[in-house]
Amino acid sequence: MTEIKEMTKKLEEIHHKIKAEIPWEPIGHTPMPEIPDLRSWDMRLLKTYKPWYAPFCDLCCFCTYGKCDLTEDRRGACGIDIATQQARFVLLACLMGCSAHASHAGHILEVLIEKHGRNKKIDLGTSIDLEAPNIRTVLGLKPETLGDLEVAIEYVYKEIAHLLDSTHMGQEGSYLDYESKALHAGMLDHVGMEVADIAQIVGFNYPTSVAETPLVDLGWNSVDKTKPVILFVGHNPATSTVVIDYLRENNLYDKVEVCGVCCTALETSRYSDRAKVIGPFSRQLFFIRSGIADVIMTDEQCIRTDMPIEASKVGSSLIAALDKAMYGLEDVTEMDTEEIVKKMVEEKKHFAILDPKKAAEVAAKVAMAIAPQRRKEWLTEQEATKLAEKCSNCGICEQVCPNLFSIGEGIAAVAKGNFDLIREQFNLCIGCGKCEEECPRHIPIFKLMQVAASKEVWKVRAGRGPVMDTEIRNVGAPIVLGTIPGVVALVGCSNFPDIRDVAEMVDEFARRRYIVVLTGCSAMVAGMWKDAEGKTVYEKYPPDFNAGGVVNIGSCVSNSHISGAAIKIANIFAALPLRANYEVMADYVLNRVGAVGIAWGAYSQKAASIATGFNRLGVPVILGPHSSKYRRLYLSRKEEEEWKVMDARKRQIVETGEPSPEHLAYVCETKEKAMVMIPKLCIRKNDTPQGRSIKLNHYISLYKKYMGGGLPEDLPLYVRRDTDVPLVYKKEVKAFLTEIGWKPKEPVGLPTLIGTYPTKVSLDSVIR
Amino acid sequence: MSQLAPLMPHHRVNILTGTRTAKLIEDPVEYAKQITKADRPLLVLGPRLSKLTLGGRLLLEYAMDIAKAKNIPTCATATLKSKMTELGVKPDSVYDVVEIIHALKDTDWKGVRQEGNHDLVIFFGFRTDLGNQGLSVLKHFAPHLKTMTLCKYYYPHADFSLPNLRKDDEWKAFLENLIDSLGMKGGL
Repeated sequence: MTEIKEMTKKLEEIHHKIKAEIPWEPIGHTPMPEIPDLRSWDMRLLKTYKPWYAPFCDLCCFCTYGKCDLTEDRRGACGIDIATQQARFVLLACLMGCSAHASHAGHILEVLIEKHGRNKKIDLGTSIDLEAPNIRTVLGLKPETLGDLEVAIEYVYKEIAHLLDSTHMGQEGSYLDYESKALHAGMLDHVGMEVADIAQIVGFNYPTSVAETPLVDLGWNSVDKTKPVILFVGHNPATSTVVIDYLRENNLYDKVEVCGVCCTALETSRYSDRAKVIGPFSRQLFFIRSGIADVIMTDEQCIRTDMPIEASKVGSSLIAALDKAMYGLEDVTEMDTEEIVKKMVEEKKHFAILDPKKAAEVAAKVAMAIAPQRRKEWLTEQEATKLAEKCSNCGICEQVCPNLFSIGEGIAAVAKGNFDLIREQFNLCIGCGKCEEECPRHIPIFKLMQVAASKEVWKVRAGRGPVMDTEIRNVGAPIVLGTIPGVVALVGCSNFPDIRDVAEMVDEFARRRYIVVLTGCSAMVAGMWKDAEGKTVYEKYPPDFNAGGVVNIGSCVSNSHISGAAIKIANIFAALPLRANYEVMADYVLNRVGAVGIAWGAYSQKAASIATGFNRLGVPVILGPHSSKYRRLYLSRKEEEEWKVMDARKRQIVETGEPSPEHLAYVCETKEKAMVMIPKLCIRKNDTPQGRSIKLNHYISLYKKYMGGGLPEDLPLYVRRDTDVPLVYKKEVKAFLTEIGWKPKEPVGLPTLIGTYPTKVSLDSVIR
Repeated sequence: MSQLAPLMPHHRVNILTGTRTAKLIEDPVEYAKQITKADRPLLVLGPRLSKLTLGGRLLLEYAMDIAKAKNIPTCATATLKSKMTELGVKPDSVYDVVEIIHALKDTDWKGVRQEGNHDLVIFFGFRTDLGNQGLSVLKHFAPHLKTMTLCKYYYPHADFSLPNLRKDDEWKAFLENLIDSLGMKGGL
């Protein structure tokens, strides 16, 4: 009785927070879900998509009982086994990522509420009514003001604390429960990201309800070196926007170059299309060591931890503008502006300045003062050859390279006056600087890379924020029916096996009339390639969320608009209520929305949480070959697993035998293999015969292109009836099917997992 | 596996943090013995075999010689099937490396020839980071089988590994001797 009373009181509090009295939709089963609330859904996913653990080490080193050896079924002093330890690590990674975005969201919200007030209306333009699909689905709240977003972020903070608590020594003992918690953290991440980006769009007047955003200059050579240069590094636009305001207000914007690396660059270009995007995280150290930036301003996430050292090496001035990374620098926020400028110019000091307005003024003044004295020339080939002559080709650089290639061979070739190899290798370089650190001859490898780096100026379309409701109305049906063969989301970081891979993937799938969406560093590198006519993918393809469109959604936090678009399809097209109805949305996405994420260069903990959030929503994710270092994948075994779903129309559980989607988190060894997996992971049980035929056409065609001919071994699993077979391959496929004794099977009317596992959600909830 | 061998893998990202590391074997005859001892070995072949050459021959050709010498079934990962087909060989199975490893964990799996799960898995031709992580999966979650590598680098998470070979000639000699040893009539 007491328990029921407490539960009721808790529910009352939740209803108060989500303004339950406003009846925009009925409230589902899981308003502001806590750890156990979606556990059954997670366990259902994990039954098919089992965790695949690749331990980084044999030990647990978390507490003073350890180190504990976990090999050969040994348990740690607390009782933990190796699988659970991996799952704990995965949860921690997801929490780091989720916290990074949530903290970003909380900070930017605080800044913008101070600027505009708590009652500032959320208005995303005439084409977006469903402004916050993640917040609405997860919390059950329809945020109308910036103040409402505080409710969402406070919920995320609370859940993060609970989840983090569970990683303490001596608690959770099940790897499956840790995975459920990781999936929870991933879902929270999409809420946090959505808070951040909605706040930014509203508070900074970023583009919204528009597809054709400006094309922005991209690349290190887009920067006018003759002007003072301010470089922003990180993810949070709280500072960069204020710098631009300062320059505009003081008529200095023509006199100072403003540019950025990583997501701050994308954010800044949404605020001003004159801001230059240098490139992804992998070009951070390269650009900093070029010395072109007079002032470097750091904010948060994906910024190098040795920034003061690197800035000093090349005579750049550094301002740490956010408390998350202060580098041990003196905090001069309270110091007089002119005094700070004087110390930075004359004494070459770096400072932390946590007041954005003061930081902006200091940055502009310091940049203008020091720029005329600084040399900003690219290295010449002659100079490079001279430097390269010191190389003994000892091979140590290769041993420490995380991308496993031998820059030493490229340098040895430069010493002979041949630059071809090092130009190729620049595309492989992930920009860590380990090679230069270890070089026994102290060759300035990154400086030498200046002769390898392309001097092209490319274009990237400024991030456009949420997919519009009007677009969803147009494409919802073809996506669900399969006649648009899929949504391919190339997202995240820049640890690419080869930086050109992303543009090739974009080109391949846009040409095949998939919808291609991009965020973060992937969105930048997609622009770093031109076709024979000199066009980047952003110039070659339309910017619409439609078949054949190439859409830059925005920065990392804009990933929430991709999950949001999937939810919008369920809500706008399928008319399923989303309010506090996460399970229904995820079930719909898993079974009917042919979307796949590709985090090809993933390196960060943020990428782990973003991907895991997509997984809980039913979107599979493909990772690059290095990403087994994340320790965990979610894999099925297509021949062994049950592929039962409920046919909601017949109200019968049916064994489909169809592994769609086959995996939820998957590592591909090569770009070519990814090209084959992408179309396969877009297949859904809901596809109409026409849609399935189109999807199989691409699967077969790409298989032939990259696997050297023949037909995919698992093709029969995806052919339900003759009408699924693509016309162009009919004869060949039919012969194959006959040879293996294939039998037709009935397509499922309304596939759903609801009804196949214990859940409060009724089957009627998924039928419209 | 040997205890606490002090060997450093070639690529430092693969440094072992742990207690159990691969037994280093330099003698191809010893390698051949281990392979011959196995009842159901499996050769898992990676995409690098179609890119790299040794003494003018593709690494894939060495792999195929090894498979042929002892009728070892093969699993082609990534897009390697393409090159094998070009060379007139059909792999016994096609999986990606993470998929085959996932299957190998299952003691009840029937193996690529439906004869039962494999008791020795030989990896050849992978990026070292992916290879080492994959071997870690099997080290921890597939105690029913042994693992072996044929690449020229030391893989700490394997059961049997070559040392880091600085010269390709050494590697070539090792592979050729291994093929010869495996091909000896009646086995070793």
